[in-house]
Amino acid sequence: MKHNKILVSFFIVALVFFSCTKLDERFRSELQQGNTASVTAAQLLTSAYQSIQGTFQGNGNLISSAQVTSDETIVPTRAGDWDDNGLWRQLFLHSWNADHSYLSGAYSSLLGTQFAASNVLQFSPSPQQAAEARFLRALSMYWVLDGWDQVPYRENLTDYKILPKTLKGTAAADFIISELTAIMSTLPDGSPTSAYVANKDGARALLMRIYLNKGVYASRTAPTFNAADMNQVITLADQIINSNKYALNDNFFDAFAPDNDVKSKENIFTLLNTGTSARGTDAMRGFQYMVNHYNMNPGGWNGWSTLSNFYAKFEATDQRIGGYYNYAGALPNPGHNTNAGFLIGQQYDLTTGTALKARNPATAPLAFTPAVKIRETDPNTLEMAGIRAVKYVFDYGTTGDFKKNDYVMFRFADVLLMKAEAILRGGTGTAAGTYGNTALAIVNSIRAKRGATALASVDLNAMLDERGREMYWESSRRQDLIRFGKYLQAWQEKPADAGTKNLLFPIPSNQLAVNPNLTQNPGYN
Amino acid sequence: MLMSCKNLLKTAAVIILLSVSQLIIAQERVVSGRVTDSKDTSGVPGVTITAKGTKTGTATKNDGTFTLSVGSNVTTLVISSVGYATQEVSIGGKTSIEVSLVATGGNLNEVVVTGYGTARRKDLTGATATVREKDFNKGVYTSPDQLIQGKAAGVLVINNTGQPGGSSTIRIRGSSSIRSGNQPLFVVDGVPLSGGSARPGGSGADYGNDGGNPLAFINPTDIASMEILKDASATAIYGSRGANGVILISTKKGKSGVPTVDVSASVGVSNVLKKLEVLDPGEFRQALKDYSQTSGDYGGNVDAFDAITRSAFTQNYNVAVGGGNENARYRISAGYLNQQGVIENSRLNKLSTNITSSFKFLESKKLGLDINLLVTQSDEKIAPISAFVGFTGNLISQALQWNPTHPLIKPGTDSAWIDPAVGATTINPLATLNYFDDKAKVNTIIATITPSYQITKDLKYQFSYSINRQVGVRRGQLNKIINVTGIEGRGAAFINNQEQTNTQLTNTLNYNKQLSSKFNLNAVAGHEWLTFDTKGNGMNAQDFANVGLDYYDIMQYSTQTSRNIYSFANPTTELQSFFARAIVNYNDRFLVTGTIRADGSTRFGENNKYGYFPSLGVAWNISREDFLANANAVSNLKLRLGWGQTGNQEFPSGASLDRFGLGQQSISQTNYGNPDLKWETTTTANVGVDFSLFKDRLTGSVDYFNKKTTDVLFEQTIAQPAPSGKIWVNLDGEVVNTGVEIMITGNVMRSKDINWNLSTNVSFMDNTVNGLTGFYETGALRGQGFSNVFGQRVIAGQPLNVWYLGKFEGIDKTTGQSIYTGGDPSVNKFYVGSPNPKTLLGISTDFSYKKLTATINMNGAFGHYLFNNTAASVLGIGNLPNRNIAKSLIGVEPKEALSNAPAPSTRNLEKGNYLKMTNATISYRVGNVGKSIKNLNISLTGQNLFVITNYTGFDPEVNTDGANGGIPSFGIEYIPYPSARTIHLGITFSL
Repeated sequence: MKHNKILVSFFIVALVFFSCTKLDERFRSELQQGNTASVTAAQLLTSAYQSIQGTFQGNGNLISSAQVTSDETIVPTRAGDWDDNGLWRQLFLHSWNADHSYLSGAYSSLLGTQFAASNVLQFSPSPQQAAEARFLRALSMYWVLDGWDQVPYRENLTDYKILPKTLKGTAAADFIISELTAIMSTLPDGSPTSAYVANKDGARALLMRIYLNKGVYASRTAPTFNAADMNQVITLADQIINSNKYALNDNFFDAFAPDNDVKSKENIFTLLNTGTSARGTDAMRGFQYMVNHYNMNPGGWNGWSTLSNFYAKFEATDQRIGGYYNYAGALPNPGHNTNAGFLIGQQYDLTTGTALKARNPATAPLAFTPAVKIRETDPNTLEMAGIRAVKYVFDYGTTGDFKKNDYVMFRFADVLLMKAEAILRGGTGTAAGTYGNTALAIVNSIRAKRGATALASVDLNAMLDERGREMYWESSRRQDLIRFGKYLQAWQEKPADAGTKNLLFPIPSNQLAVNPNLTQNPGYN
Repeated sequence: MLMSCKNLLKTAAVIILLSVSQLIIAQERVVSGRVTDSKDTSGVPGVTITAKGTKTGTATKNDGTFTLSVGSNVTTLVISSVGYATQEVSIGGKTSIEVSLVATGGNLNEVVVTGYGTARRKDLTGATATVREKDFNKGVYTSPDQLIQGKAAGVLVINNTGQPGGSSTIRIRGSSSIRSGNQPLFVVDGVPLSGGSARPGGSGADYGNDGGNPLAFINPTDIASMEILKDASATAIYGSRGANGVILISTKKGKSGVPTVDVSASVGVSNVLKKLEVLDPGEFRQALKDYSQTSGDYGGNVDAFDAITRSAFTQNYNVAVGGGNENARYRISAGYLNQQGVIENSRLNKLSTNITSSFKFLESKKLGLDINLLVTQSDEKIAPISAFVGFTGNLISQALQWNPTHPLIKPGTDSAWIDPAVGATTINPLATLNYFDDKAKVNTIIATITPSYQITKDLKYQFSYSINRQVGVRRGQLNKIINVTGIEGRGAAFINNQEQTNTQLTNTLNYNKQLSSKFNLNAVAGHEWLTFDTKGNGMNAQDFANVGLDYYDIMQYSTQTSRNIYSFANPTTELQSFFARAIVNYNDRFLVTGTIRADGSTRFGENNKYGYFPSLGVAWNISREDFLANANAVSNLKLRLGWGQTGNQEFPSGASLDRFGLGQQSISQTNYGNPDLKWETTTTANVGVDFSLFKDRLTGSVDYFNKKTTDVLFEQTIAQPAPSGKIWVNLDGEVVNTGVEIMITGNVMRSKDINWNLSTNVSFMDNTVNGLTGFYETGALRGQGFSNVFGQRVIAGQPLNVWYLGKFEGIDKTTGQSIYTGGDPSVNKFYVGSPNPKTLLGISTDFSYKKLTATINMNGAFGHYLFNNTAASVLGIGNLPNRNIAKSLIGVEPKEALSNAPAPSTRNLEKGNYLKMTNATISYRVGNVGKSIKNLNISLTGQNLFVITNYTGFDPEVNTDGANGGIPSFGIEYIPYPSARTIHLGITFSL
C-alpha cells in the first residue's frame, strides 16, 4: 500500500511537471512581430518595389485589364489555344462579370503594393525612403482609382479588425495629389539612368496624369476638364522639360531595350529588372512570348495581336511602326528582318535568316496577317492571324528567365503629349524646350523625331490617335479611350457596350464579402 | 516436435485407457480430439465440448485438444464457442475426432483496441469497425490504407494515382472540412502520426507532383489488425485530431511459445489496367483524309503508349521470428519489397524491419516494459508525371498525343527522335523517359519505449515515449537535350532535403474493476504531449554539360545566375492533452461510456489555447433482456446511441500569429495574426444497431449518423490592402454529412468440407455546405487553352466541391462547333453534380472446399461525377493533323470541326460509378510438409482485375490534385500515372 501511494504521488508530480509547457510557437525561419528589430526599412522598401513589379510585368492581371479592353490589343481564341474559359474574350468584348480572375487579380496586387509601401513607414525609414514608399503607394492607389474608382486606404497596419476606409473619385484623386505634393521635396532628383528609383520627375509625371484625368474621376460618363487642372499639367510638364535631363530618343525602341537604363534618354520612372531573381520578375520575357508563334525564337504562346484598324493609323515611315532594330543582346538577324514594333507578314528565323513555316499546317509560310477575328476557326489561317507587336525587344543576351529590360512607367514623350493635350483642352500654352507652345507644335515635334510627316492640325481625335501611335501597348490606351469618350463605342470586332457600367471594373466579390466599406460598382450584381 | 511427442503420449494414453475401460467399465468410453480454427488451423482454446443430451462436457486446452469420457450410448458431441459456429459431430465408433470451427462475425469477447486502451467488443458503445489480418485485401500493397479498402462501411479509400507508393484519399463518413485536412488520424501501436512525411517535393513543375503516401513506411505484412473509429463517442478521446475519424493500427506481436519463423514470399507481374483509346496508325491516316489534311503522315507505325509502359515485376519477401514466454515475448520481422511500376523506369524499393517486444520484470511481474522499433528505408524512382505541367504536358499526355505515324526512334540511331517537324513544343515521350531522372530516398525510424506498472490488480500505470524521425532526400535532373522550353540547351537539376522529428510522451492510468456483481468499470485517465518538427532545404540550378555524369552530382558546374537555394524550418508545433474515459457496464445489459479530452495546441490563437471535447455513448444489449432470452434466432442485439464533439487542427503552424518571411535580401509580412483562431468542431450523433442472428450465421450492424462541422477553418482574404491578403479565420459556415451505414456478414454454407462466407457493407451519404457567405473556387482544370480555369465551388446550399460548369448540348451540324446552354460556357455556368460519392459498396466473399479457398473482394462507389480532364484538353479534335486524338471523336455524327475549342463543360463530366474487383485469391493449404515446414500455403492473387464502369478515363478511382488557394479539389483526372492490374504467386509457411 505504501509504495502504491508513492507511485500515485509520483504520477501526479510527473503530470504536473509535464503540463508546464506554455504552448507558444517558436519560429525558426520566419520572424514574429516581436522579433522585427532586425527588419529594416530598406528591406521592406525593396519588397515594395518588387511587389509593384509583379503587378505590372506579368501579361495577366493589370496589363490585360489596361490593354485587352481597348482597341489596340486583341487576344483571339485560336481553336483550342487561348480559350481559357473565355477570359480574354470577355476582356475584349467588355462582357466580364464580377469575378473575372484577371480583374480581381489586378485589384488585389495593386492593393498589395499599397500595403507593402505603407509597411515601410512603420520601420523608421529615412526621409528619402519614406518618400519613395509614399510614391509607390500613391502610384498603386492611382491605378486602383483609375480602374475601380473605390480605393481602400488603410492607416492602421497592426489591427486588421479595423477596416480600411474607402476613398472615392475626386476625394481619392485629391488625397493622392496631396501625398505627392508632400513628398516632392524629399524625393531624389531623377535622371534617365536612375529612373528605377522613385524621383521628383516621376512624381511630376504621375501628378500630370491625375490632373489630366481629374475630370474623368469626377464623372466617368461625362468628364469635364477645367483650365486650372490643365494648367497644372502644363506647369509640371515644363518643370520636367526645363530640367534638360530628358530628350526624345533617336531610336524609338531604345526606351525599351535590355540596356534601356543605360542608353535611353527618355525614361523618367521605370521598374528595375536586373536579369536575375535578385531584383525583377521573370515576366518581362512574357512580352515577347505572348506574341511569338511557336516556331519563332523564343517559341512563344501565339496569342496577343493588334487590330488592323489600329495598325492602319501608322505611316510607313513612322519609326514607331517598327522594323529592324539592332541592340546589345540581339540575335545576328542577317536578313535585317523586323524584330521590333509590329510584326507583319513573313517571319524569319533571326539567327539564320530563313523564312519560317507555321506549325499547323506545317507547309504554310509563317506570315502574320492583318485580318483577325475574336474567334479564329479556320484551321488554315488561325495560327497566323493578327499583327503582333513588340516594344520590349527580347534580351537574348541574358540566359534564364529573368531579362534586363526595365519596365517603363513614365517617359518623356508621354509628358510632352500630356502637355499638348492639356493645351488642347483649355490650358494656356507655354514654351519650354524646343517643342513649341501649341498642341500642334508639340505633336509635330514628336512626329518629326519619329519620322512621321507633320500634321496640318490637331483636334481631340487626332490627339487620341497620336497618343495611340506613341504609347501603344504601354497600358495607356484604356485610360485614353475613356478620357476621350470612345471606350464604350463599337470598334473592329467589338460591338458597342450596352450601358455604362464597363467604364469601371467590378469590385471582386471576395473583397466585398470582407469589407463592408466597399459597395459594388453600379451595374454589376 | 514437442507437439507430436505430446500427441503420441496422449494417443497412447487414450488407447491404454480405452482398452482398460473396455474391459472394466463397459458403459463408458473416452473420446479425444483437437479443435482448430478453419482459417489458420491453429488450435482454439476454451471451446466447450458437450456430449449431446447429457450434461457431460469439457473445454479444450490451449492447443485445442480435449479428452472427454462419455457414455457408450452417446453418439454426438456438440462443439461450441463464442465467436464460432456451433457444430455437432457424430462420434459413433470413433475415439478421436478433428473438428474445424468456422469463425463468424461479431466475436463478442474479442478484445478490441480503443483509444488509449482496450475493451471487449461487447462493451463498445461507439461505431467501430475492426478489420483483422485474415480479412485484409489480399495481394501486395505498399501502405496500410489499401488493406482496408472496401472493408468498412462509411470508409472511402481511393488510390489517387497508380504510382507505386502513391498517395491516397481516405474519407470516413464524407469530407467535413473545406480547407484543412480531411484525412483521418492514424495511430500505430499507440503512436499518433503527424500525417506528413519527409519525402521532399521536386523543384519544378515537370517532376512528379504526387506527395506519396505518408503511411508507406509501414510494412503491411506486419499489421495484425486495424480498428476504424467512426463516431464521436469512439474518437472524442482524440480530441482536436479526431474529427475525421481515427484508424488504430496494431502490428503483430510475439506469441508465447517456442520461437517460430514465419516466411512469406511472392512474385508478381503488373500491366496497365486500361489503355485509353486513341487512333492507331491506320485510323489516324483515315482521320487525316476525312479532315482533308495534307500533312501529318510521317510514314511510320508506332504505339507511343506501349513504348512507355511495360510488364512490371514485383517481389515481396517477409520473414518474422517470434516467440517467448509469458514474461518475455518478442517479434522481429524484416521485409523487402521491390515493386516496379508499369511506367518504364519507375519503381519503389522498400526495406523494413519491425521489432516488437514485451517484458515483465520483478518477482511479482508487475513491472512491464515494451520496446518497439520500426525502421524503414524506401527508395523510389519517380516517373515524370505531374499534374502541374504547362501545355507541353507530362509523359502520359506526350505518349497519348504522339503522332502514331511518326517513329519514336531516330532512324539509324537508338535515341529518341527530337524532330522539329512535329512542332517545337511537341515532346517525344521516349525523350522524356530517357532524359529525365528523379530519385527519392526516405528513411524512417520510430522507436517506442513503454514501461508500465501494475499498481494493484485493477490499477495500472503506463508511460510511453516515442520518437518518430524521418529523413528524406530527393535528386532530379532534366537533360539539356530535351526540347522543353527553358531546359533545352541548358539542363536542370535539383537536390531537396527534408527532415521530420515527432516525439510523444503519454502517461495513462488504467482502472478495470468489477465493482459489484452487476457493475463493471473500465476507466482510463491520462496526459499526452506531442511535438512536431519539420525542416528542410534545397537547391536547384541550370546550365550543365553532358559529360557522362549526373547533373545533381556536379551542381558546382552550373551558372551562378541560375542557382536557387532555400531553406526553411517550420514553427514547432506542440500539443498537450488531458483525457479521461469511463465505461460502465451494468450486468452486460446497459453500457455507458463517457469521454472528455482537453487539448492545448501551439497552433491555436492566444485566446483559445485549450479546447474541450466531450462525448457520451449509451448501449443497450437487448438480447440480454428476458423477452429475448429464449429467442434462439437472436444471439446478439445491441442498440447504440452516441454523441460527441471532436476537432480538426490541420492548419499550418503560425497561422494565428503575425509573421514576416524572408526572400532574397528582402523581408515582407506574410501573415496577419488572429488571436481567436481555434480548431474546427465536428459534432456527431450516431444511432446504431448491432445484431447477430441464427446462431451467429448472420451478423451485422446498421448505423445512422449526422456529422456537423462548425467553425470551419479557412484562409480568407482580409480586406485589402493587406499582406498577401490572407488570414486564418473560423468561418460562419458549416459542413453537414449525414448517412446510413449497413454492414452484414453471413455464413451462407457450412459443412465439413465446404464453407462459404459473404460479407457486404453499404453506405449512403449526403454532404451539404450551409451558412457560408460568398463562394470559393477550386478544382483547377488544366491543359492547352485551359489556364485559370476552375470547375468546382464551395458554396452554401450545395455539396462540398460541387461542379460548376457550362452545359454541353452537342455539336452544331453545320459549323462543327460545340453548342452550350446559354451560348458562351464561360459565362453561363450551372451546378451540375457532386464529386462526392453518395453510395459506397464493399463486397467480400470467401469460399473454401477442403483445402482450397477462394477469396474475392470488390468495392465500388456510386452517385458522383468525375471530370475527365485528360479527354478534355489532351485529346481534343484540334490536335489534328500533328497529334493524336481520342478514338471516340472519329466516325460520329455530326462531325466536329478541327477548330472547335475545348472548353470546360459537362461534355467531359462523367458519371463516376464503378464496381471494382479489388482482388481475388485462390489459395491451397498444403499444411505441414516434412518435420520442419508448417502451414504451407500457396496462393495465386489478382489485384485490380477488372472495373465495371462507364467512365472513359484510366480508372474511376482517381483524384488528381486541383487545389486552389489551399482548398482541395476532388474527382478530377488529369493525365495521372495509370493504374495497374497485378497477378501474384505467393507462398507462406512457418518453421
